[in-house]
Amino acid sequence: MSHLLLMSTYAALISVFFAVLWRREPRAQLKLFLQLFLGLVLGAVALAWLTYPFPAGAPAPIP
Amino acid sequence: MSSPAPDSGSRQPGSRSGAAAYVAALLALLVPGAGHFYLRRWGRGAIFLVLVLAALAVGVALDGRLPWYWTGPPLKRLATLGAMGSGLPPLILHFVLGYQGDLRGSGWEYGGVFIVTAGLMNLLLVLDAWDIAAGRKD
Repeated sequence: MSHLLLMSTYAALISVFFAVLWRREPRAQLKLFLQLFLGLVLGAVALAWLTYPFPAGAPAPIP
Repeated sequence: MSSPAPDSGSRQPGSRSGAAAYVAALLALLVPGAGHFYLRRWGRGAIFLVLVLAALAVGVALDGRLPWYWTGPPLKRLATLGAMGSGLPPLILHFVLGYQGDLRGSGWEYGGVFIVTAGLMNLLLVLDAWDIAAGRKD
């Protein structure tokens, strides 16, 4: 699975969880879900884009 | 002059006894969603059960790390406690199925994050079940 797909899956799980946990009305749940999901995915993509010029460096050692 | 704010700790009509809060929290800690089932929040309990188990299943499908560090660096021990937050499922994975994850697999880190997240989500559900049983939430 690609990193983007895994990240989106993770964001979807987290967003549904907190939308159901923090809101009671379906409409409010949907709104919070979209805010969280889009914020996580687009925020991560934006962060990746901003850090693109910086080299990753050597891979971390396996613990 | 504004009216005083309602006491967030006051019991709502239909709230359960203090003992029920302990039972709901314990059930929630053992099985994801069980605390909400006990409190007759069937729909929410079912959604939470599916979500926590789905996160755990994705982590296992990726051969992710099931943290099992009771000594060593504090962050690893915290990850272990977080993963144990799912209750019985990670214990079944470890003791019954002998699951540890695959260090050589590409999903070792990714999957481990899903597994720890499942536990952390369930710990929040324990608090939610407690609050509902105590009458602080509906």
